[in-house]
Amino acid sequence: MPTIAVQREDLEALIAGPGETADRIPPDQLEDWLMLVKGELKGHNPETGELRIELQDSNRPDLWCCEGIARQIRIKQRGAAIPYSFFDKQKPVIGKLLVAPGMEKIRPYVAACAAVGYRVTATGLTQLIQTQEKLADIFGRKRRTVSIGLYRLAPIRFPVSYDLVKPDDVKFTPLGMETLLTLREILMVHPKGVEYGAIVGSHDRLPVLRDAKGQVLSFPPIINSREVGEVQVGDHELFVEVTGTDLPMVALALNIFAANLADRGAVITPVEIQSPVKTTFGRRWNTPIDFGKPRSIPLKAIESALGEALGGQEVAAALKSYGYEVKSVGKKLTVQLPPYRNDLLQTVDVVEDVAISQGYARFAPVMPSQFTVGGLSRLEQMADRVRHLMVGMEFQEIISNIMGSHQDFCTRMRLDGTEWANVVEVDNVMSLSYSCLRQWITPSLLQVETNSSRAFYPHRLFEVGEVAVPDKVVDVGSRTVTMLGAVIAHAEANFSEIHSCLDLLLYYLDRPFALEPLVHPSFLDGRAGRIVCNGRTMGLLGEVHPAVLDHWQIGVPTVALELEIDRLLDEA
Amino acid sequence: MDNLHPLESTVLLALSRQPDSPPTLDQLAESTGLEPSQLSMAVEWLLAKSLIAIYAETVAHLASLTPIGELYFEKYSPIERVLSAAREAGQTGKRLTIQDIQCNQGLEPSDVSKAVGSLKKEGSILIVQGGCIESTGRPSPTAEAMRALLQELRSGQRELQTFAEPLRDVLQQHAVKRGNAREPFRIDERVTRSFLLTTSGQAVAQQLSREGVTEEVSQLTPDLLKEGAWRNKRFRKYTISLRAPRIAAGKRHPYREFLDLVKLKLVSMGFQEMRGTLVETEFWNMDALFMPQFHPARDIHDVYFVKNPTHAPSIAEPYLTRVAQVHEQGTGAESSGWGYTFNAERAKRLVLRSQGTAVSARTLAGGAAVPGKYFSIARCFRYDQVDATHATDFFQVEGIVLGADINFRTLLGLLNLFATEVAQAKEVKFLPAYFPFTEPSVEMHVRHPKLGWMELGGAGLFRPEVTCPLGVAVPVIAWGLGLDRMAMVALGIHDIRDLFSADLDFIRTMRGSF
Repeated sequence: MPTIAVQREDLEALIAGPGETADRIPPDQLEDWLMLVKGELKGHNPETGELRIELQDSNRPDLWCCEGIARQIRIKQRGAAIPYSFFDKQKPVIGKLLVAPGMEKIRPYVAACAAVGYRVTATGLTQLIQTQEKLADIFGRKRRTVSIGLYRLAPIRFPVSYDLVKPDDVKFTPLGMETLLTLREILMVHPKGVEYGAIVGSHDRLPVLRDAKGQVLSFPPIINSREVGEVQVGDHELFVEVTGTDLPMVALALNIFAANLADRGAVITPVEIQSPVKTTFGRRWNTPIDFGKPRSIPLKAIESALGEALGGQEVAAALKSYGYEVKSVGKKLTVQLPPYRNDLLQTVDVVEDVAISQGYARFAPVMPSQFTVGGLSRLEQMADRVRHLMVGMEFQEIISNIMGSHQDFCTRMRLDGTEWANVVEVDNVMSLSYSCLRQWITPSLLQVETNSSRAFYPHRLFEVGEVAVPDKVVDVGSRTVTMLGAVIAHAEANFSEIHSCLDLLLYYLDRPFALEPLVHPSFLDGRAGRIVCNGRTMGLLGEVHPAVLDHWQIGVPTVALELEIDRLLDEA
Repeated sequence: MDNLHPLESTVLLALSRQPDSPPTLDQLAESTGLEPSQLSMAVEWLLAKSLIAIYAETVAHLASLTPIGELYFEKYSPIERVLSAAREAGQTGKRLTIQDIQCNQGLEPSDVSKAVGSLKKEGSILIVQGGCIESTGRPSPTAEAMRALLQELRSGQRELQTFAEPLRDVLQQHAVKRGNAREPFRIDERVTRSFLLTTSGQAVAQQLSREGVTEEVSQLTPDLLKEGAWRNKRFRKYTISLRAPRIAAGKRHPYREFLDLVKLKLVSMGFQEMRGTLVETEFWNMDALFMPQFHPARDIHDVYFVKNPTHAPSIAEPYLTRVAQVHEQGTGAESSGWGYTFNAERAKRLVLRSQGTAVSARTLAGGAAVPGKYFSIARCFRYDQVDATHATDFFQVEGIVLGADINFRTLLGLLNLFATEVAQAKEVKFLPAYFPFTEPSVEMHVRHPKLGWMELGGAGLFRPEVTCPLGVAVPVIAWGLGLDRMAMVALGIHDIRDLFSADLDFIRTMRGSF
């Protein structure tokens, strides 16, 4: 989740609120405050005053900015939500924004507002841009569902229209360029066009925002016009728009931006959106818009989830000082989220906010009291017995990665083109060294041999671990098998030495077995066997083929054993 | 005297038998019948103890053939070959250049130029215009000496001083020296030393012959026991302060030892083990955990997808329908869901298990006991670059607790128990956290004796959107412990990849302090 950079002084000023004197944040206080926003201080540069904060909650994009963090702290300090009058539906608008027909197929939704009276500072501009990027990138899935544009208000004449045009019909000078380009040219040559072009580029008509004079504001979600869409330090009249494919997300992103600018001292004036098709907001609505609904939550549900009889008043106070509007308190509480949040799916979401607002330290830990019997699975018990016996036979236990390469699991074992080369492979390979799951343990142990020629001999290694065996009968396409793998390597290692180990192991486990000759490319012919128990194969053993040893650059004779521990259970 | 090795006694007694003619090592070997290696060992020990001294030391130089010399004997030396090539060219009238010789004879350029240099100096060849070589017909003393030496030394080494002056010069010129190993001859120094007893050696030897302790034994044998012969033997005393020879034990892997301990702790707290599969459907890995299908952690850059088969044939009902409904609309009146269209095909997509919580989801659906406590130590896979803090696959210790008495406070109580039992921590701190499938969510930090405050795990109460579709009617704690850092401290390592090391020496020497 996002990590953002904020200035300590900026944070302090925002916590105080517009026009108030800021207090210095006490050093030991910040971490406690950050608990309110699920934030973790990742870094602090005392020279520049920069704080790096990671925000955990992917459902609270309002907190991914300095303003949002400060707001949550400020609300806690004042004990009640901050009123934002611009959500009032009766508030006069600055103008209209008209959505063209056909837009519903491409990028249907837009929201906008004006913000006047906040003179943009260098720090403020950095924060605005950071918020714009984090929202579009993470919340808006790399601008696909939501993207945001910031403009100077002065040159814009209302009504603004959100139009569909042919790629060659409209030209403007985009940010970062000197010359007029058509939309098609922007998609081809502008870095942002190349990066984000795929979002709209497949359509034969493309979205543009234009004002009443026909002046282009931007080509959403790609790039703003250089003339209108370049906000600079010192500007004090701004226009903000959000476009996207999800109406609540578009509205929420604008609400967050409007609240942020208001917190910095701007007066927000709504814009009226007119849509050619009916939406959940109707055909005409003003943005920012408070589209949250009151929810009725049983007090008992909150109390039993928290394990604490807090009472209606304490719950109400906790929610108010976390930004909620509490409309009524009784056996049920009627509550509503502030308009810059839209993450209330369930009663439990309110429960957590109560706990966070109160501080987790408010709740005394209690031990669960009900009795349960603990135990290991039968498979784990068998695996442990096998491990103890192997240790008794002087084998060193190994733990290897399950993910590896086809090269190691198959090719070096001379298995390519045989039934034994069937492995679970990964589709989105990151590196060829980690492209499939092992189907047996022996290659993992030979890897150790390759790396350990200087460790004194004899080497006796074993691993009890999971492997994945492709099997069409199983719904996930493979069986996860717990397997014993063992190797012995030294100048005189031979079949009979590992055979003795197997014999003793299965004697103690009381599983009578027989060996049947096995022709297997990894082993010397005539020196390999299939382990058969009650007519079922449960493993194999043999002298590793010299060509395989060569592939692994192993310089001493090596013998190996593989035994399915799951099968040992079946035979019990 | 007690510390004398039987070999030392043998040598001392042999020397005391011939006090007037100090013997050489060869002579001592003859008189004692000891192997050369045993003898030289005993002599070194006695010298160190000042029981014997060197009487005289002579140095002899022995000449012998190197493998190159053997080759020259068979195929002739460069100087011989250059001379004969020049003579042959003179007879046939062909022009012969140095390059020709190199190519025809397959000789190294440096060997050829050295041979040409010597032959020219001796007047056996001339270098004429165009760099051509002509034979003068005059013999080359060097070439002849070379042949004589190769022949002579082939039958064995011989002392340098026994060769006549001219031969000796050629031998020395063509002997292996530092920086030039490609020579036919080798001259080795052989030091011949003769020994005699020192005054204290004489005393010890006299005592030895007086007491007749010619039979000191180093090892008690079954025969000595059987025949009772041990009664007349002296047993050599060991220098027990020496380091013991190294041996390898059969043993558990230290990281597995750590995990076994965690397993034991969990079982002793009443947890039942659950197991799952390495390959899972997205349904159990994520959908059942109420992670929306558009969640960033479900991206191609976070999860490994399986190549073949790509999808499971089906997802068990009624879970698929119920989970789909919860994603779309929520659990009921007071819940709203994610409000998007659930893709059942996506739910069947096969992935490598990315979180142990998938095992918990399966257990909940499979009819978990109430009250019930479960854990798994499951291998998980994340799409991460492998480095010092990221392994390609790793163990996640996770579990669930079901019960009518489960709530936020019992959740904190359970975490407290983990902190004291698993991490031996006395101080615990709970922070708000975010996981897609729990609400409220907690992060537990403990004060580790060595690391200071560290995150030990995350936990929370499963959202009703997780438990309801799986048919669970009581609250459920979901918990996970991040133990790798603790394990690394206990094992004294700094790179997570070392937990899965393939270096046997490292694994043999690694030990845990749990």
